Amino acid sequence: MIIGTAKETYRADEALLTTRPQQVWMAVLLAGLAVLPFTFNAYWTYLACLVLINVIAATGLNVLTGFTGLVSLGHAAFMAIGAYTVAWLERDIGTPLLLNLLAGGLLAAGIGVIVGLPSLRVKGLYLAIATIAASFILHFVFVEWTAVTGGSAGISLQPGTVFGVALVDYTQLYWLIMPICVLMVTGAANLFRNRIGRAFIAIRDRDISAEVLGIPILRYKLMSFALASFYAGVAGGLWAYFFRVVTPESFPLLTSIFLLAAVIVGGMGTILGGVIGALFMTLVPELLRFGVELLGPVIPNAGLILSPVRTIVFGALIVGFLVFEPQGLTEIVQRIRRFFRLWPFRT
Amino acid sequence: MTTVSRRNLLQLMGATALSAGVLGGSALQVRAEAGELVIGGSLPLTGVFAFAGIAIERGIQDYIKIVNDAGGIAGRQVRLAYEDTGYKPDTSVAVFNKLTSQNDLNLYYGDSTAFAKTIAPELQRGGKILMGGASFASELNDPEAYPNLFMAGPDYSEMISILMEYIAAEKPGAKVVLVNSDSEFGRDPIESSRKKAADLGLEIAAEIITPPTAVDVSTEVLKLRRARPDYVIFHGYILAPLPEFMSQAKQMGLDTKFMGTFWSMDSSIWADVGETADGFMGVMPYRYYYDDEPAPMLDTIRQMRPEYQATGYTQGMITAMVLLESARRVIEAGQEMTAPALKAAMNTITDFDTGGLIGVPISIPGNSIPVGRVYQYSAAEQKMLPVSDWIKVGG
Repeated sequence: MIIGTAKETYRADEALLTTRPQQVWMAVLLAGLAVLPFTFNAYWTYLACLVLINVIAATGLNVLTGFTGLVSLGHAAFMAIGAYTVAWLERDIGTPLLLNLLAGGLLAAGIGVIVGLPSLRVKGLYLAIATIAASFILHFVFVEWTAVTGGSAGISLQPGTVFGVALVDYTQLYWLIMPICVLMVTGAANLFRNRIGRAFIAIRDRDISAEVLGIPILRYKLMSFALASFYAGVAGGLWAYFFRVVTPESFPLLTSIFLLAAVIVGGMGTILGGVIGALFMTLVPELLRFGVELLGPVIPNAGLILSPVRTIVFGALIVGFLVFEPQGLTEIVQRIRRFFRLWPFRT
Repeated sequence: MTTVSRRNLLQLMGATALSAGVLGGSALQVRAEAGELVIGGSLPLTGVFAFAGIAIERGIQDYIKIVNDAGGIAGRQVRLAYEDTGYKPDTSVAVFNKLTSQNDLNLYYGDSTAFAKTIAPELQRGGKILMGGASFASELNDPEAYPNLFMAGPDYSEMISILMEYIAAEKPGAKVVLVNSDSEFGRDPIESSRKKAADLGLEIAAEIITPPTAVDVSTEVLKLRRARPDYVIFHGYILAPLPEFMSQAKQMGLDTKFMGTFWSMDSSIWADVGETADGFMGVMPYRYYYDDEPAPMLDTIRQMRPEYQATGYTQGMITAMVLLESARRVIEAGQEMTAPALKAAMNTITDFDTGGLIGVPISIPGNSIPVGRVYQYSAAEQKMLPVSDWIKVGG
């Protein structure tokens, strides 16, 4: 219970941002996102775009795994569906960019429902294996359905266009990716203020009890799969516009593991967790690169010698956070918030 | 006694990661010295392709040292600015963006087909950089679609063509089985191989696709027994599952000859396989470190590095050689260092002497150097020995 934030209406009580500091920090974040491309060079803008795409995908997986308790290792395959849909529509049909992204998300959601069917009978590791199997089937389709997917060579795209402007550099792409990311993360946050989100959480906590309470398990589990896949499909579509080439090897199993790790490291079952997890998993390897660079003057050929060390340090950081902060990085944020909530009366 | 709490440890971990980034960020401004020529590199120093990336880095660095010791390129010193990619395309792109923001780059080494395809539009848009790399993908050997790229050897289709030219000369009408890995790399030359075989009157007795890291290949070997081919051409692998194929085929009494392409042809990877490796053949665009034919550049390499250098080393060195020769021609012509100028200069390279690293003078009319030679592994000597002359293919 947060002191000093008495609410007089239900509406105020259910608001996404309930305290003044939350509103201020959100404003700072949005202002930061708005000025980012004007202050960052191409490298950092590229990384920002990559982070935002991963945030969308991780948020989708968080809805499924973190909030509904359904483990999936096939999330990358849904990204691939979105990417291929966008690439095919862009190359062969020429439909508008935003429609392509929506189509990518919807097709991924539709296939997500089919892939989610086993979730009615199996859970945990069994479901993870079922989703991996589905991703293998999809990989086979991507390789063999040459007329649509371009086979092993994949599809190369022309730059996407919005209102006649071709999105060729990272700054232009940022202005496409960032608003979509903000919209989708806000959508996910809102989801848990209504019946659907609460039903997901009830299923995660105890599905039998949820059913006794009148929650139709079938509908909500499939809905969760559809939503998560929609997020993955849109993220994949943005990925296609970002990298402009989609091949069957663009979304390997490792990408699914990367996203699951992002959700776990960030904090399962919190929207902030998916965001922080994607940020951590994408940026930390790059930040460690600068650590190697710093040692360049001291160690000759540091890039060659220390690159494996960088990988080890990244792995150790993940293990360290899992061991010492099992609730995820978001718990650190919560602790900081609690600290300042009472500051300076208690430290 | 001092104890470290969970919170302290987390703070320490976070601070370490952050400070590495923030302090490192200040080191971003690594600017090229005046007049310096910088080759950028997205190199796989970790991950599945690290064995090649480390050798490639060494090859490029050694060639740069040779060039700098000789006074540089038109008086300009050369430097390699590179970072590890882990052989992941998105990381390779990040490295590209980082290096281009830190250095004024006109020359680049890319680590994979996926990276080359991904960065190609950016290269065209920027119009500044000529890029070579580790990929020999046939798709990239298209100057129209990929005007800023080249490869320091024949593309994969041309490699198979070289092998088939050799087979057709050795045994006209021979039966050939193609074994390819189920990857973009592996599937690359299948279509062109069929066409080349038909042109040369060779019979494709079977086509086998396996997972890239297949272990149990007994079912596939049974297909070989049914087909009884004279030659099997593997593509899309480094080593596994080639030894398993060869060992089981020998046990079944097949006298088939087994062949591979560039990335399967380093003799050091076959050294541990033992007797099974004996007789393995394949295409190699370069001379091996230990070749005893006259090659002044090999003599120089052997003086610099007394121990064996892998084929990736030579590949890196020849890529650097082509990049810097193109740069030299642009500078000497008094032109601005742009990608079209560099590419045009590269395409003027005719009958160029690589110091014997490639056994014949080379020309680069398009995006590849379509020449190679067939070598055969001798388990007794633990060496690849030449069994053909240099074979030129393509236009």
